[in-house]
Amino acid sequence: MLSSEKKTTWVIGAKSSYFDLNLKELLSYYHLLFRLVKKEFLINYQQTLLGPLWVLFQPVLTTVTYVFVFNKVIGVSIGGNLPPVLFYFSGIVLWNFFNESFSATAKTFRENIHIFSKVYFPRLIVPLAAIITQFLRFLIQVALLILLLSYFAIFGGFKIHLGWHLLAVPFVVLIVGLLSLSIGLFFSIVTAKYRDLSNFVDIFLRVLMFVTPVIYPLSTVKESIRWIVQLNPLAPLFELFRLGMLGEGTVSLFQIAYSVVFMCCSLTFTVLLFNKQGGKLIDVI
Amino acid sequence: MTSSKLIMAENVIEVQNISKLYKLGKIGSGSLRRDINTWWKKSIIKKNDPYFLSEYEPDPSSLDLWALKDVSFEVKEGDALGIIGSNGSGKSTLLKIISRIVQPTTGLVRGRGKVSSILEVGTGFHGELTGRENIFISGYTLGMNKQEILQKFDEIVDFSGIEKFLDTPIKRYSSGMYVRLAFAVIAHLEPDILIVDEVLAVGDADFQKKCLGKMRDVSQKEGRTVLFVSHFTQAINNLCTKALWLKQGQLQEMGECAAVVNKYLASVQKFSLKQDWDTINEAPGNDFIRFKKIELVPHLPTPEHPLDIRVPLTIKFKFWNFTDDISLAIGLHLFTFWGECIFDNQSVSATYNKGLIEGECTIPANFLNDGSYFVSIIINRDTSIQLYYFEECIAFELEDYRGEIKWYGKWMGAVRPRFPFKIEQTSYSIA
Repeated sequence: MLSSEKKTTWVIGAKSSYFDLNLKELLSYYHLLFRLVKKEFLINYQQTLLGPLWVLFQPVLTTVTYVFVFNKVIGVSIGGNLPPVLFYFSGIVLWNFFNESFSATAKTFRENIHIFSKVYFPRLIVPLAAIITQFLRFLIQVALLILLLSYFAIFGGFKIHLGWHLLAVPFVVLIVGLLSLSIGLFFSIVTAKYRDLSNFVDIFLRVLMFVTPVIYPLSTVKESIRWIVQLNPLAPLFELFRLGMLGEGTVSLFQIAYSVVFMCCSLTFTVLLFNKQGGKLIDVI
Repeated sequence: MTSSKLIMAENVIEVQNISKLYKLGKIGSGSLRRDINTWWKKSIIKKNDPYFLSEYEPDPSSLDLWALKDVSFEVKEGDALGIIGSNGSGKSTLLKIISRIVQPTTGLVRGRGKVSSILEVGTGFHGELTGRENIFISGYTLGMNKQEILQKFDEIVDFSGIEKFLDTPIKRYSSGMYVRLAFAVIAHLEPDILIVDEVLAVGDADFQKKCLGKMRDVSQKEGRTVLFVSHFTQAINNLCTKALWLKQGQLQEMGECAAVVNKYLASVQKFSLKQDWDTINEAPGNDFIRFKKIELVPHLPTPEHPLDIRVPLTIKFKFWNFTDDISLAIGLHLFTFWGECIFDNQSVSATYNKGLIEGECTIPANFLNDGSYFVSIIINRDTSIQLYYFEECIAFELEDYRGEIKWYGKWMGAVRPRFPFKIEQTSYSIA
């Protein structure tokens, strides 16, 4: 027997405030969050030939292509003396994490409208589940990166740098994850309202990849145009990630601070926007 | 539950001046260029909205639609409130607002306790996942917590009868199994306030009965609050203690269930004696059958004669048949106001070709009792395969007529036939 005194009271009003984020409510749905993550994994690998191996296949194949095209055919310089495989793989793994989290988050409203229009739960659960799913995939890929590192250390004479830089890796992952959440949420709201903008998301991502040091290190960019890359808050994070994992990267404390401040501002802005607009979007989609 | 039941029932939901505006056409512009243009002209250079047409040339696509207007009411703990109204009267919008799915344009809803809303069967289900996985994901989506699901898991499986297929992806389930599993999850929710939309009535008769039975348990035995939307006024009567009648987004009447339902039926009565459709596309039906017309013609001796139990009633129907060389049988179901079936009158099957088919069936005078009745028409192929079931297509009310009988109690029974008696005195002595 439940006592009625424990019943929560609630109010539904016409206005939603910018500061409506109900963390307690969000936390009470953590079971749903983890089920959704599990669901993503189950759905993606049910009735597939290679199953979860796809998590590794995709970045491996991309790396092979990049090494072949950029390194062997065109001969793009990657600076320093890192093995190209490690260089490209590390960049691709982190980029994939950002890219996939962003795309999944940006689809929050359009792909879940059938559930959102039938039942209430904190809408933030869905993008959070998407990010966590992508984070787990990222962890698996990082495990392969570590294997590759050890391989090159043993057979390729590559020297592993164990230092304070390694501590920067989890920090980088956190900031990249939150950045993808914030920008993705922004696009999820905007594309729900203006459907034509969803075409823009793909182009945006493609352009963003070229101003992010994924297939080139920052050090090889001409001084005169380096500022373009440095405006991108992802750039220092990618450099820091390589610095931590491989021991080579160009980054300053100021640039890291810029990325963090950028992330905090955009996350605050989009979460506020999400609170304000989330309830109304259902009428528009 | 215990303590507060002893005190007089408290309000668990208070709806205060709820309105909901849908801007038809305006939001639908859906293009950024247009919205920026509007915003620029309106807010920056203070000109008129270039897309806002003056009142002299109204644009029908951009009219405002008030789905709900200034609706206020209260629901007490343990109430079973039925919400009735014709299509587009705002019933579903009201439920969606109370369920926190859409936001009201103005107004406020206050509530107490956990709300579960069932606007669909199988919310959160995913075809690729197994039955087991879906029980969890659907349960969590509907607001259960882990403890509740684990506690009820076996019950849910038992109730659905799908033990053997628990680890099979539900896309391989039959539709019956799917619905049973989905309903099993719903049936084991334990909210303080249960909100149910009419979608539940979509399943087969057996399923509907199960739903209604469960909802009756929830409201009457467990004392929870239920809000229930249905087209089926019979179901509302059966289940609810109170009813709320919405008409074009406004609260028309709220009060004791049978009284409100009666008034509602009386208001739609003139429409429900006769329904017809001009075009095939609008007509109710499916790929086999579409109804063109359905009408109840009372054979009144004079135009002023009341529609009472002495009047023979002819039900005339006209439908399009889209299949050549098909064997059809038509069945007429008559229900009381409370949903009991009085008879199921089946025609003999005969073969028909594509085109319009007309028919009629007469209920003789002095057969039905006074009261409200519903007619449903079923069209079967080869006597047993249901092609289309047109539910509650006619509703009517028969007045009482007692004649020389000086007794005014309620006449018992759904029918009041006058089967002849044969009575004679067989003896004159009392020995």
